[in-house]
Amino acid sequence: VSLVVVIALLVLLIVVGTTLSDRFATSRNFLNVFQQAAGLGIVSLGQTLVVLTGGIDLSVGAMISLVSNFTSGWIDGDPSLVIPVLIGVVAMAAAIGCLNGALTYYLKIHPLIVTLGMASILQGTTLLYSLAPAGKVPPEFQVLAYGRVLGLSVGGLAMIALFVLVGVFLRYTRTGSAIYAVGGDPRGARLLGISVPRTLIITYGLCSTFAALTGIYLVSRMGTGDPWRGEGFELASITPVVVGGTALAGGKGGVLGTLLGVFLISLLNNVLNFLDVSTFYQWIIQGLIIITAVAINIDRGRKA
Amino acid sequence: VTDRTSTDEILQPTPNRFSGRRLLQNFGLLAFLILNVIVVSILSPAFLKTENILNILTQAAPLGMVVVGQAFVLLLGGLDLSVASVMATAAVLATGFETTDNRMMPVIFGAAILLGVIVGLANGFLVAKRKVSPFLATLATTIVLQGIRFLYTQGSTGSTLPEGFTVIGQHRFLGLPINLLALAVLAIVFGYILHFSPFGRRIYLVGGSPRGAKLVGIRTDAVVIACYVICSAIAAVAGLFLVGYVGQVDQWTGKGYELDSIVAAVMGGIAISGGRGSILGALLGVLILIVMFNAVILLGLPVQVQMILKGVIVIAAAALYLSAGGRNA
Repeated sequence: VSLVVVIALLVLLIVVGTTLSDRFATSRNFLNVFQQAAGLGIVSLGQTLVVLTGGIDLSVGAMISLVSNFTSGWIDGDPSLVIPVLIGVVAMAAAIGCLNGALTYYLKIHPLIVTLGMASILQGTTLLYSLAPAGKVPPEFQVLAYGRVLGLSVGGLAMIALFVLVGVFLRYTRTGSAIYAVGGDPRGARLLGISVPRTLIITYGLCSTFAALTGIYLVSRMGTGDPWRGEGFELASITPVVVGGTALAGGKGGVLGTLLGVFLISLLNNVLNFLDVSTFYQWIIQGLIIITAVAINIDRGRKA
Repeated sequence: VTDRTSTDEILQPTPNRFSGRRLLQNFGLLAFLILNVIVVSILSPAFLKTENILNILTQAAPLGMVVVGQAFVLLLGGLDLSVASVMATAAVLATGFETTDNRMMPVIFGAAILLGVIVGLANGFLVAKRKVSPFLATLATTIVLQGIRFLYTQGSTGSTLPEGFTVIGQHRFLGLPINLLALAVLAIVFGYILHFSPFGRRIYLVGGSPRGAKLVGIRTDAVVIACYVICSAIAAVAGLFLVGYVGQVDQWTGKGYELDSIVAAVMGGIAISGGRGSILGALLGVLILIVMFNAVILLGLPVQVQMILKGVIVIAAAALYLSAGGRNA
């Protein structure tokens, strides 16, 4: 039901946008929205997985900052370093994510505290490396953000591809169903022979990996890293998840909702820009959207 | 139907809450704090200078206030992300009076507290009545407040404030920082409410077992809303003290306090799943955090090490409390 509401809101936004400005319903504008949605989309995809297990990952923002700054700092304009560095940072992110999952399970600490602590550690490390934007990436690297395939942005297409992959993964693999089971009923999941620690480690690992991909995408878009690039993403990545109908209590929802949520937020910001509304109103509206979305879904889980 | 007398019995503050494991826990924290102080003062003799200690305490006082409020919400099993936004909005509100008259200070404080009460009511209503998760409810109010604040100032804050703010934020009375004295009063009043009043007992019951609390006839919704109101109102006051300490108003006054207050409380033994912890412990958590931060500076380490240290300690602390037999932190 909630997905219908989100789609209706999307249609409403498009109608409003079209009546407001001739430049709104142009392929150029839509392509822009599509391109800009990629950064938020990929990190929200990872966040969706964690939220499905009933957890939360507040370290994605710091992870984006870390990946952003180290990628550009280590590459520093040398094209031959691009592939090794990318492999290196993604592997590092995956390992840190797995650590989040392991700490959550084995120490039984609430994921909010684990990932909050991890965020602090990652942000501190990033700033130890450099306080200012570090290094730069070769021009070829910017293909990720500005390249076009069949007229569509590479980053946007990559985001869609990832959503499809994860959607298939959730629906057709054992680990995918395990994620829902762990979020819905951890004790039952254990009785079904599902390994809860394995599931959590994979989930948090994937979430950090997706955050790293967003970090890489943002480096490509800006041409350089930034030790604060990910600031705010830890909370921003949760909005589309919740708007898309995934319950914070876990076990219910999916990636399609998140994708629609990402488009809803990107399109909303776009329409508000056309309306020449200040960022200030955009914040108010975003806050109200969260409240409305949650009130519709009635997220009965009382987990933080 | 619950027997009236047994309900009253349950609601009576029981003496054992100030003994046994709780006491041990606070002693453990105190011992850890003292150990910290000893190690730091050996490594850096500058630490134990009265001036340094008083400076640390002045710096810690606004965070301490926020932690007192946050404790009420955490003990319920909730959390409040909106405290930083409330602090900044209270600060901006204060400049809105455009007065330098010290006699206006009570009015400014009154207005800030009113703001806190309104935000707390909104948070509490969303959490208790609409069953929104505390995380989302307070995230939403954070963002809405942020929008309202920026709309009001159009991006640039005023700077006209009574001189009295500097006095309460930086000056001393009888050799002690005024904001520390204010924190002490706040902590004693709210510590008394939490640990010695029937209302406080209800908070622990709701946090420990919401269903059980309902069964013994506690109006859990009212308790939840009251706690969110207390938290936001204290945050608003802390925002004004922070303005006094910093000496200027900023759209982001108190930025980071929402998470730091949770970190300090967890370090001080409050379980974020609710029902366990004390104000005293939470304040010891603040002190440990601040002493370690100061040590990093005194030892000439890069400031960023503070962040790494904070992350390691909060995870370690949460793990430690669990292994000591506590509830899910």
